Amino acid sequence: MGAGAVAGAGALAACGGVAGGGGGASGGALRYAFWGNNVRQTNYQKAFDLMAEQDEELALTVEFAEYSAFQERMTTQMAAGNVADIFWIPSAQVMTYYANDLYRPLDQVESLDLSDYSEADLRDFLLDGGHNTMPFGIFVPVIRYNATFVQDDGVDWPDSWDWDGFAEFAKGYSAEHQDRWAVAYAADADLPFEGWLRQHGEQLWSEDGRIGYTQEGLESWFAWWEDLRGAGATPSIGEQDGVGASWEDVGDRCLAWFSNSNHIVDDATMFPEHEFALSHLPVDPSAPAGHQFLYFPRQAIYSGASDENAERAGEVFNFTTGDVEMLKIVGLTMGAPVNPRVAQEYAEFASPTETAMLEIVTEDREADRSPRFEAPPGSSTWRTVMTRVLEEITLGSSSIPDAAASMIAEIEQSIDRAASGEESS
Amino acid sequence: MTATLRPVDAPSGSPPAGARSRGGRGRRSQELAAHLFMSPWLIGLALVTAAPMLASLYLSFTDYNIMSSPRFVGLDNFVRMAGDARFWTSARVTSLYVLVSVPLQLAFALLLALVLDRGLRGLSIYRSAYYLPSLLGSSVAVAVLWKQIFGQEGLVNQALDLIGIQGGNWLQNPDSALWTLIILNVWTFGSPMVIFLAGLRQIPEELYEAARVDGASQLRMFRHITIPLLTPIVFFNLILQTIGSFQAFTQAHVVSGGTGGPVDSTLFYTLYIYQQAFVNFDMGYASALAWVLLLAIAVITAVHFTLSRYWVFYGD
Repeated sequence: MGAGAVAGAGALAACGGVAGGGGGASGGALRYAFWGNNVRQTNYQKAFDLMAEQDEELALTVEFAEYSAFQERMTTQMAAGNVADIFWIPSAQVMTYYANDLYRPLDQVESLDLSDYSEADLRDFLLDGGHNTMPFGIFVPVIRYNATFVQDDGVDWPDSWDWDGFAEFAKGYSAEHQDRWAVAYAADADLPFEGWLRQHGEQLWSEDGRIGYTQEGLESWFAWWEDLRGAGATPSIGEQDGVGASWEDVGDRCLAWFSNSNHIVDDATMFPEHEFALSHLPVDPSAPAGHQFLYFPRQAIYSGASDENAERAGEVFNFTTGDVEMLKIVGLTMGAPVNPRVAQEYAEFASPTETAMLEIVTEDREADRSPRFEAPPGSSTWRTVMTRVLEEITLGSSSIPDAAASMIAEIEQSIDRAASGEESS
Repeated sequence: MTATLRPVDAPSGSPPAGARSRGGRGRRSQELAAHLFMSPWLIGLALVTAAPMLASLYLSFTDYNIMSSPRFVGLDNFVRMAGDARFWTSARVTSLYVLVSVPLQLAFALLLALVLDRGLRGLSIYRSAYYLPSLLGSSVAVAVLWKQIFGQEGLVNQALDLIGIQGGNWLQNPDSALWTLIILNVWTFGSPMVIFLAGLRQIPEELYEAARVDGASQLRMFRHITIPLLTPIVFFNLILQTIGSFQAFTQAHVVSGGTGGPVDSTLFYTLYIYQQAFVNFDMGYASALAWVLLLAIAVITAVHFTLSRYWVFYGD
C-alpha cells in the first residue's frame, strides 16, 4: 500500500478539490453513502426498494462500506469533488466536514418535512447555529447488563447507581464469581466517558472547538477504571482482547457493559440464550443539572448536489426519518427514532431489547440537557490516541497523569494544526 | 532494445540500396508495432503510476488536508519527521520486521526447496501446498485467522495448555505482537521457495558428479556448488522480499484494528502513512513519509547491488 495509496490520493487531489468539484449525480439516480455490516446493508437495500416502489423518482444508488472503508472512500471522494448526494457523517468528522463546506443548508431544501419536530428538537439538530445536517437516530450512554445473570445470581439491580456504589458492587460481584466478571473494561468507551465528564462539570469538546475537559477530569476517569481492573472486577486486557473489550470474546461472561444504547440491538442477538437490559450510567451525587445528553448520528446532503437532487434528497430524509415502515425493515441499530411521532408508532412493533432502548432514550430526551458540542476539526484521531494511552497505562509503561497529559497534548496539537491550516487557506 | 531489432528476412552484410530502403521501412514498421504493443503499459505507467507519484512528490512539500487547496510549506513536512516520535517508532518496527523476517523467510524457503528438489513423489502437490500461503499471506482472511490463532483462547494457547503452559494474548502483548507478524511473513515462504526450486534445477548435474568422483561430501557440495550457483537467485529473492516487507501493511492493519497497537508495537511504516493520510487527513505529511520510504528502499536496494559484487556468482 503505502506509497501507492498516498500517490493515488495525490492523483485524485490533482483532479480538483471539494470547492471546485462538480458534486454528486445530476439528474440521474441519487447516490446514498452509508456504513455498517452486511445485515444493515441488506436491510437498508430492502427499505430503499420499498421507497422506490412508492416513488420511482427516489430510486437510489447505494454506496455502502464498512465504517473505516467508508471514511477512506469519503476522503478520496472529497479530494475528487465527487461525494454522494446523501451521506452519513462519522462522528469524529462532523465539524471537519462542516469546516470544509460539505453540507448543503437544509433550510434551502423545501421538500424536507420537519412538521413532526418541536422547536426544542430542531434546536438540538443545529450545528454552529445552522440546520445543515439531519439526525436519523439517537444514542445515549448506558450500562447494559445481563438480566439472566442478575436473576440467576440474585442480584438486586437498582434503578440508579452512583459511581462509587457501582465500583464497590463490581468488586464484590467479581470476587464471588470465579467464572465471570462484573463489568468489561471500557475506559475507551466514548459516550460513557462523555457522560462522566458532564457529570463532573466538564465537556468532551468546548463550544470554541477545543478540548472541553481538564487533565484532572481525564485522570479521574482513567483512575476509576484502573481501580476496577486492579481489583479484578474486569477481565484483563488480554482476556477481553484489547483495551476495547470484544463482545464476542467475553460478552457472555460479563454482568455489565458500558456502551451506547443502540448496541444492545445487534449485540443481544449474539447470545440468544441470555436476556439483556439497560440502565442509565451511574450518577455522581454532585452532577450538575442537565448532564444528560443525546448523541445524534447525522446525515447530510452534499453541498455540490444539484438543486433537483437536493429536493429529492429531502424526500429521502422524510422517508428515512419519518416513515415507520422504513424502521420496521431496518430496525433500530442506528438508535432510537429521532422523529417523536415515529418513535411512538414504532413502540408497538418493538422487540423487548428495542423497547428497553426506546425507554431509556426517551427518559434522557425528556430531561433538561445542557448543550453539547461536536468534535472539532483535527480531533478525528482522539479515540485512537485514547486507546494508545490506555494501553500504556494498563501495561504499566505510563502513569495515569503522564498518559492523560500526553493524550491532551497530542489531541491539542492536531486541533492546532487543523486550525492553522484553515486560517492559511 | 529496439536498436537490436533486425528484419527477419534481411540478409547479413551490406544490403543494396533498394534493399536498405525496404529494410528501413520494415524496421520502422516493426518499431511501430513494438511501440503499439507497449503503449497500453506505457499509458498505464504514465497515468496510474508516474502522474500520481509526481502529484505525491508535489504534495510532500505542501500542507494539504484534502478538502482545502494544498499550501506550499517547503521542507516543513520533512523537518517535522525529525521530531515525530511515532515516525521513529514506525521506522524501528518496520526495520526490525524486515531484518528478522526476510532472512528467516529465505532460509526457510531454501531449506524446503532443497527437500523438494530431491525428487519426491507428488512433488507438484507439495509445491502447490507450500505455495498456497504466499497467495493468501497478505490477505485479510489470513490476518483474521492469525488473530484467532494467537488470541487468548487461540490454537497456540490451547496447544501450550496441553503441556501445562499458560499463554497470554500474544497479539495484545507489545513484546510478542510484532513477532507473530514476523512468523506470518516467514510462513509465506512459497514464492521464494518456487524460485529457489527453479534455480536448483538449473545447476548442472555434471558438477555434482565430478565432485562425487573427487569424494566430496554432501555438505561440501552444498557449500561449494549449490550455494555459489544459487547466489543470483538468493540475491533476486532478497531484493524482492526486502522491498515487499518494507511495504507490509494488511497484516498489521487487521491484527491491530488499524491502530498499530498495542502501544505502537505493530505500527508498520505504511500503516503510519495510512493513518496520516486517511485518518488525520494530513496528506502532505503522508506524501512526505511515502517519499522517505521510497528513498530508503532505493538506498537499501542500491547497497544490496553494491555488496552483491562480493558474494553473488554469475559464472561468467
